[in-house]
Amino acid sequence: MHLRDYILRRLMVLPVLVIGVSIVVFTLTRVGGSPIGIYLSHEMTPDEVAEIEARFNLDKPVWVQYIYWIRGIAMGDFGWSGVAAAPVADVFPLKLAATMELAFASGLVALFLGIALGTYAGARRNRLPDHVTRIVAVSGASLPQFWFGILLLIIFWAEIGIAPIGRSDATIFASIAHPTGLYTVDAILAGSPSAFWDAIWHLVLPSVTLGYGATAIIARMMRSALVEELQQDYVDAARAKGLAERIVLKRHARRNALVPTVTVIGLTFGFLLQGTITVEIIFRWPGLGRWMADSVLRGDQATLMTYVLFTSVLFLVVNLIVDLVYANLDRRVTLGK
Amino acid sequence: MLDAKHGGATVASVRDLKVHFQSKRGVVHAVDGVSFDIRDGETLGLVGETGCGKSVTGRSFLRLLPVPPGILAGGSVMFSAHEVCTGCEGTGCETCEGTGRKAGQDRSVNLLGIPSEDMRRIRGDRIAMIFQDPGKALNPTLPVGAQIAEVFLQHRTDELIALAGLPADTVGAVRRFASQSPRLGDGWLLSLPGARAQRRRVEEALATMVAGALAETQVPNPAKLMARYPHELSGGMRQRVMIAQALACNPDLLIADEPTTALDVTVEARILELIRNLQQRRKTSVLYISHDLSLVRRISDRVAVMYAGRIVEIGTTTEVFANPRHPYTRGLMAAVPGADTPRGRLAAIRGTVPELVDPPAACRFCGRCPYETSACRNNDPFLEAITPSHLVACFIDHPAPSGERPNYGRVTA
Repeated sequence: MHLRDYILRRLMVLPVLVIGVSIVVFTLTRVGGSPIGIYLSHEMTPDEVAEIEARFNLDKPVWVQYIYWIRGIAMGDFGWSGVAAAPVADVFPLKLAATMELAFASGLVALFLGIALGTYAGARRNRLPDHVTRIVAVSGASLPQFWFGILLLIIFWAEIGIAPIGRSDATIFASIAHPTGLYTVDAILAGSPSAFWDAIWHLVLPSVTLGYGATAIIARMMRSALVEELQQDYVDAARAKGLAERIVLKRHARRNALVPTVTVIGLTFGFLLQGTITVEIIFRWPGLGRWMADSVLRGDQATLMTYVLFTSVLFLVVNLIVDLVYANLDRRVTLGK
Repeated sequence: MLDAKHGGATVASVRDLKVHFQSKRGVVHAVDGVSFDIRDGETLGLVGETGCGKSVTGRSFLRLLPVPPGILAGGSVMFSAHEVCTGCEGTGCETCEGTGRKAGQDRSVNLLGIPSEDMRRIRGDRIAMIFQDPGKALNPTLPVGAQIAEVFLQHRTDELIALAGLPADTVGAVRRFASQSPRLGDGWLLSLPGARAQRRRVEEALATMVAGALAETQVPNPAKLMARYPHELSGGMRQRVMIAQALACNPDLLIADEPTTALDVTVEARILELIRNLQQRRKTSVLYISHDLSLVRRISDRVAVMYAGRIVEIGTTTEVFANPRHPYTRGLMAAVPGADTPRGRLAAIRGTVPELVDPPAACRFCGRCPYETSACRNNDPFLEAITPSHLVACFIDHPAPSGERPNYGRVTA
């Protein structure tokens, strides 16, 4: 099966899955109560409440309300966010950019650092570097983010005072345009080194907090996969050809060890998204995660449903990418069977 | 017979090789004082049961021991590579029988002592190895052509550059590409217009060399086979790829570690014949490791029998099979059923291989030997000659320093 056909087929299934997810999301959200709460105040009379109910179609049967919701989404109307006091569709892209910048920064670091650390440790099994990496990795996987983040905040922001908080410096923010909403990219587009460093500087603590756990998971997986691969015959066969240990490790063992690791990397992506909620609250990062947390607490159902719907689609796409990478690494995997 | 033809030159000689393994119960003496020679152009069969140390001995030639827990506890493996024939400068003539190389000029090195850089230059070039299971010894994520290509990139950079029609003094990214030692940024350098053309020529030269190596093993359509992955090939095909890879640089010594064990019998016969043909054409010496006595008898010039980390008997194939002197060799041969073996139970050597943790100074075969005496339990026999070419480590043929001498006439257990 051609790669293109396979991708098309997977993408064709996507709408079906999205509808399934939307039904689940809608049902579960409505179990939590009517979304009318955010429109009401204590002074309202029952007549006024009934009028609001009628205006937002909340007096109709639930399945009719679902259809109204879906129809809205199809036309780009995701509802009104009580928390942001704006339409969800207007605020979402800005918040998404903030979260994506954070998630990408920590994800990329976790990916490269995790693979590098895992390779380094796996190639030096049961020696000092392996033990040190193990300690780093196990602590990374077990320290709760809310604790680790606050610890960093206390040390570098409150005590030493070298780290900033939030997403950017107000004056620097106002000095350049933000066409993409990714501040690092915006700074490069505007050609402003100071804005770029400001964006990076603000990213450091949150992405360290967010990426530590993911790095640990990837490093541990990579290490154990590499240790296993290094015991295979083909590694000795590669050495028997006279290849340098560096080539044996990189071209032979590591490539094979990446196969199981890629699966874990795909799962780690979900771990990262989940982590943005905690990290954004701790570091006052104006992204989806914090908005999401506020929405849950204040019953902002439109935001909630959009978020869950969006992350599900994102997850499906990431899984597709993982499958493609997987098949590319290991030719024994045949796509579409 | 081969001795006369090649003047009995020795390609490799193992002396008192000891390889130990650290285990939880103590030091395992996996190979414990093994000595033998491999002569030029001969096939030496190394037989023994699983765990007797024959694979470890074979791997010692390439220093492929897991270091820890494998410990090279002593001994030496002297190896003298063939040198370019002085008569013809490597083009092939009468004196070197067309191989362009000649054994002899005693310039041997101890494979266990040389720096690892020197070892790497010998691996895959002068000494090559074929592994037991070609399904496991080929990397599943690389096309087979790329795996054979690595041998040429490692050892034949100059030939590659010459074949590509580039000047011999080619330096920089292209040479690093042809010797698989890329530096950061080489990918970019090689994408520049001039370098890209040179790189393509090197790649074409490489493909020609790989196809040539594969063609030697009589595979149909080598050019097409190169792009295939190991899992797309049959077991026999994979082993042909392994052989092509091992013989790519025309090695002086080939370590074949049970190369047909993972194959079925019909394929086995063809692979054996292939190895035999290539060996005779190129005058390569072969150390053929196997547990299959009848196979070793068919293909070997000489046979060494290993038991519990020791060689217990070594001699020409005819001598060992016609007149086995060690009780273990006799037991092994009795265990092979022949056409005249009556129906019923098969013969077996009683007991199991002893654990090799801190072995006592006694014959290793004690406890399993039907003829053992007090001499065997208190003294450690070593290899002694009974004919100039036949050596046995047993007190049946040589008196022990103390104790009662065993003999085949008297079964003691």
